[in-house]
Amino acid sequence: MVHPVFIDKKSVSVYFGLWILIMGVHFSIYYFAYLFPIEISLADSLVFNSIFCGIGITLWYVARYSTPDQKNIGNVILNHLAFLTISLVVWTGASYTILSVLFQDDKNYLTFLLNSIPNRIFSGSVFYVLLALAYYFYIYYQNFQEKIKSESRLRELLKETELNMLKSQINPHFLFNSLNSISSLTITNPEKAREMVIKLSDFLRYSVSSNINQFTTFSNEIANIKRYLEIEKVRFGDKLQFSFNLDERCQNYKIPPMLLQPLFENAIKHGVYESTEQVNITMDCNSDDCCMEIKIRNDFDPNAHARKGTGLGLNNIRERLRLLYHAKQLLKTSVEGNKFFVYLTLPNIDKPEKKSIQ
Amino acid sequence: MSIRTLLIDDEQPARDVIKHYLKDFENITIIGEYSDGFSGLKAIQELKPDLVFLDVQMPRLTGLELLELLEHPPLIIFSTAYDQYALKAFEMNAIDYLLKPYSKERFVQSVQKALAMVGKDIKPNAQVENLVKSLDENPEYLQRIAVKSRHKVSVVPVDDIFFMEAEGDYVMLHTSDAKHLKEKTMKYFEIHLDPSQFIRIHRSFIVNAKFIDRIEYYDKETYAVILKNGTKLRASTSGYKLLKQVLNM
Repeated sequence: MVHPVFIDKKSVSVYFGLWILIMGVHFSIYYFAYLFPIEISLADSLVFNSIFCGIGITLWYVARYSTPDQKNIGNVILNHLAFLTISLVVWTGASYTILSVLFQDDKNYLTFLLNSIPNRIFSGSVFYVLLALAYYFYIYYQNFQEKIKSESRLRELLKETELNMLKSQINPHFLFNSLNSISSLTITNPEKAREMVIKLSDFLRYSVSSNINQFTTFSNEIANIKRYLEIEKVRFGDKLQFSFNLDERCQNYKIPPMLLQPLFENAIKHGVYESTEQVNITMDCNSDDCCMEIKIRNDFDPNAHARKGTGLGLNNIRERLRLLYHAKQLLKTSVEGNKFFVYLTLPNIDKPEKKSIQ
Repeated sequence: MSIRTLLIDDEQPARDVIKHYLKDFENITIIGEYSDGFSGLKAIQELKPDLVFLDVQMPRLTGLELLELLEHPPLIIFSTAYDQYALKAFEMNAIDYLLKPYSKERFVQSVQKALAMVGKDIKPNAQVENLVKSLDENPEYLQRIAVKSRHKVSVVPVDDIFFMEAEGDYVMLHTSDAKHLKEKTMKYFEIHLDPSQFIRIHRSFIVNAKFIDRIEYYDKETYAVILKNGTKLRASTSGYKLLKQVLNM
């Protein structure tokens, strides 16, 4: 956090302006009420107040690095008592020394100076407390603002992710092209048309009804991916080939719903849509107690100069993984020749430790 | 008279629907089916059909890019699930734009439109004007440009273009290792390329900001834009102003 006095020119002039005002009041009292000569009134006001003005600036660092919460309130008070004592000693000591040297011939003033020390210590303590309170107020205000900001950012992200999830769940072009295929199959192969209507319905039902904040099983998600690929296979025929190699232990693993679907949609979009050759999509899955490792591979035509994706799909998944698992780097991609790879690591949320406690 | 027709769509079921609907038209003969843009283009050039049913999203070359490359295009009916290309299709004088899936009635309507035009040299009169307005509000910028030389069609990603130069009725696209001539105007590219990347610095030049190395003062209100490959281009006063604005100088 920046020192509140030195945020900008305005804050600097407010702080020093206040001290000049205090100096003015101090001077007026000494000159008009106590009837000291002008040079004594000026010097007294200048020396005492400018030193305290400096101490006031350093007080910030004490406040900043000793902020009270429920546990350390005692420590904070001790810190301040120590710093207050040092400040008062330095302040009165230095001021007294300077002024007594400057006006060593004025016995009257020297006596006053000595006698005024208890009063000065009292007023110094009051100033100290006021300033410390102002600093703490500033710190809390700043923290509060920061908290509001980061909370609203998180909410925004969640909403964005949710919205994008909704969008990716029902890609209109996929839907319309599939409906067109069904329209065609009603003529050439009504039996198959019916099958496809059912697959498409199941796919849509899964997409619409899955709550993105609740986990589903890997086998549920895979069943949906298979429906999706089978629908696309009706459109593209032999051009699209897919195979799955899944470890038995993966099946009951908990994963976020609709997490894998956008990855396969990407594979279709950049592989099948842009290629004239056969495109293979494969998926491997292995799991142990800690994590599940998923690998998705698809062929693509490197000469296609495909329309660049916005990268939004992958970024959304990254962001979603980060929010759900509080970990980075769970999704990696790589290109080797004409093959595109996605590697996904999903931590186990049914950790074995929990079972051992039971 | 038989109307020779081609089907170009990368999905078999989509071609099947068209074939089925066309059975009712005795004078329409399907002379070929193709499933990607390149082979479709080649077939149109070789077979010179009267009518083509064309999908937009296809591998290698989209239907729109294909149409752009034809000097004497046949009658074109687009059939696609994407509605955002309708305007461009009409701009290119397509007869109709069928949104998948479509009804038989809708299909018959557009075939009859085509039949009325076969053999006549009339440009289809589409509702282009209204559509042009909607394009201005919602532009989708070009990401690649299809060009053809004598024997070969290639697709140039716009990111690879260093700069464009006016050449009469054509525009020369300069990439790091080649030059391609495209039958379009500078104005067209000024509108259809992302203005934050492609800047019209002169009547004759559009430059890709990505490849600008530095800008030097030339003489009297003219500036030279030097590209990363050393090419020097002149910028006019207004071009320099635009350049400063886009590059935040």
